[in-house]
Amino acid sequence: MESLFLQQVVNGLIVGSVYSLIAVGLTMIFGVMRISNFAHGDFSMLGAYVAVFILAWLPGWLGWVGSLLAAAAGVGLLGILIERGLFRPLLTRWTDLDQIMVSIGLFILLENLAQLFFGATPRMLPDPFGEATLNLGLFSTSVMRLLCFILALVIIILLQIYLNRARMGVAIQATAQNRKAAQLMGININRVYSLTFALGSALAGLGGVLYGTLFAIYPTMGAMPTLKAFVVTILGGMGNIRGAIFSGFILGVAETLGGSYISMEYKHAIGFIIIILVLLIIPHGLFGRSEE
Amino acid sequence: MRKVSVAILALALCLGLSLAAVSAGAAEPIKVGILGPFTGSLAHNASEMKKGMMLALDQVNAKGGVNGRPLELVFGDSSCKPANGVAAAKKLLSRDKVLVLGGGYCSSVNIATSEVANAEKTPVVVAIAISPTITSRGLKYVFRTSPNSPMFLEGINQWLAQVKKPKTVAFFMENSDYGRDGQKIWEAQCKKIGAKVLSSFYFEIGDTDFTTQISKLKKLNPDVTFNIASTTEAALIQKQAKELNFVTQWIGVGGQFTQAYFKMTGPLSEFAMGSSLEPTKAMKDPVTAAFVTAYQKKYPGSRPGIFSSQGYDNLMVIADAIKRAGKLTGDLAKDRDKVRDALKTTDLKLSQGTIKFGPDGQVHTVFPSVVQVQLKNCQSDTYIIYPPERAAAKYLVPPPWPPRLFMLRWGPPGRGRGALTAPGGRGAPRPYPLRGTGASFVFLLLVRTWNRFFCNKWSTA
Repeated sequence: MESLFLQQVVNGLIVGSVYSLIAVGLTMIFGVMRISNFAHGDFSMLGAYVAVFILAWLPGWLGWVGSLLAAAAGVGLLGILIERGLFRPLLTRWTDLDQIMVSIGLFILLENLAQLFFGATPRMLPDPFGEATLNLGLFSTSVMRLLCFILALVIIILLQIYLNRARMGVAIQATAQNRKAAQLMGININRVYSLTFALGSALAGLGGVLYGTLFAIYPTMGAMPTLKAFVVTILGGMGNIRGAIFSGFILGVAETLGGSYISMEYKHAIGFIIIILVLLIIPHGLFGRSEE
Repeated sequence: MRKVSVAILALALCLGLSLAAVSAGAAEPIKVGILGPFTGSLAHNASEMKKGMMLALDQVNAKGGVNGRPLELVFGDSSCKPANGVAAAKKLLSRDKVLVLGGGYCSSVNIATSEVANAEKTPVVVAIAISPTITSRGLKYVFRTSPNSPMFLEGINQWLAQVKKPKTVAFFMENSDYGRDGQKIWEAQCKKIGAKVLSSFYFEIGDTDFTTQISKLKKLNPDVTFNIASTTEAALIQKQAKELNFVTQWIGVGGQFTQAYFKMTGPLSEFAMGSSLEPTKAMKDPVTAAFVTAYQKKYPGSRPGIFSSQGYDNLMVIADAIKRAGKLTGDLAKDRDKVRDALKTTDLKLSQGTIKFGPDGQVHTVFPSVVQVQLKNCQSDTYIIYPPERAAAKYLVPPPWPPRLFMLRWGPPGRGRGALTAPGGRGAPRPYPLRGTGASFVFLLLVRTWNRFFCNKWSTA
């Protein structure tokens, strides 16, 4: 006997895990650098295209693992370049509006470059598990979807360990809490910035490979993850990493359950209704804390 | 050719000579006006229509023309803009004095030009335009040789009533006019054949996650699920239905079956259905096959599409009507009426199928053939399954996923391993033994050779 409720929860958790992964990168960058990166989803798109090319060259699960690594490295590197070349020179003199404009410009630029170089044809990644499905009685899913979920969880846990245990990880957290105090404690702020942007971008790239594995890959695919990542970030509190992790799952499950039991047409609206409610009632997010 | 004739005409008018007096010979050509968007964004499709018409013209004139007189086409460019179309139509009717107005493309242009021609009491035969308005206004001189939008779904309606006879259906539609209009037509048909509509779901263009809706559909378990969607969404829906182990007969309009769609879904889209007017799919029909052969002989290396076929049929219908109208009197108004009366009794078998006009001037006997995606020679492609006289394959009921996936993985050649490894397929790699060793190289070589023989392709495995 299949349970519709359980099936929808599983669907929601799987999508939610990818939302979390992408949103964690966004919230990290915001927490440390106060940059709302509207091009975040396009980093995911680039990561997905890395996977397209690697899997064309080396099919199979080996290629899939390779494309995860290459997407993280490639998009992370691109993140460093963009941070150094674009965001850092403006960091000291801009207003909030400037950086929003710059990141929106970057979003349009990346989308159009992708269209130019990769073409508008949508693609799907081949399934390294030969389309194997899991029919577990209570719900059905595919091996691939389950693996995406587990991988997203593992990456998030590894990130948590890094941020809490490693020296640079703690430095990132310190900078996020108080930039001036961290600087006074001898933390090299510029290195922290580079590292944060690289990590955040790499997470977006990884998320992109998973998103591309679950869904389809095309130049404008980045808009949806960007929107969802912002919903998740606001829901969890801007800059709050743990908040983003849980909010990603909450959004995923809320969307599928809302779509299933309230109204299918308002599936996407649910996320935005949540944003408005959160901003009205608890402006610092479900897990946010006041900075003052 | 056209420029020259226009120039001669202009010269003749300048000199104040009557055209009729200049060329009153026995072999004086009969002029047919052809409208179309020969410039602008639809120029490519219009040139396809023109290529079909030129083929028809060749065939008619090779047989000595119509009643001993050759046909001559005079082209008018509408650029798909109603104002330009009306100007071009007026010029064709009053300056070129064409007997019949054919061609036409773009619904908005044809709505306007058919009104102009009707006012001039000139028969107009529209070749390509989908809006029902064109033939629903009760205009006495307007005919159309292509199906209108409700008729695009008529083939599927007949198939539902006569073959599938579903007990329960569900709708999973794109939230647009395209999706909602299609739903209205199919809903009416379901009512007629007594199928119960379980539920209607919609998705937005650009959506990627359909698992919520598919999970609900699975719970409802409809015999048939109507799914009007474009390429990307339709491909994702097929993939996610597999992931959620949902089996149904998917029916769409057919526009989603593009190259990208088959590349994305590979063998997963098998059994999905839609409709198609592509003449190359209907080679079982001897008339259509003859058209395709003649077309490829005239234009080597090209493949006739739906527009070529519609252009060809359009001119053939016009030529036939002029022929049956008998010897022309020379009085344009009388001749035009005679042709109009002849058009009413048209009964021809052409590349799209039988062409007979209803009292409204609309052809009601042409409808797109029903196609199903089937896996043949390791490639998924659409095959006509209805109507029976055009069918290239038999309808296959979609089997449950577990045996289907098992067959894809381990089944016989053509249906089995090859399907997943063929370049056109998803290219999903299979777990093969001893990967990374010398033996695996030999194994890969074997797989490639296997595919070479059974799929006629070197696999990328």
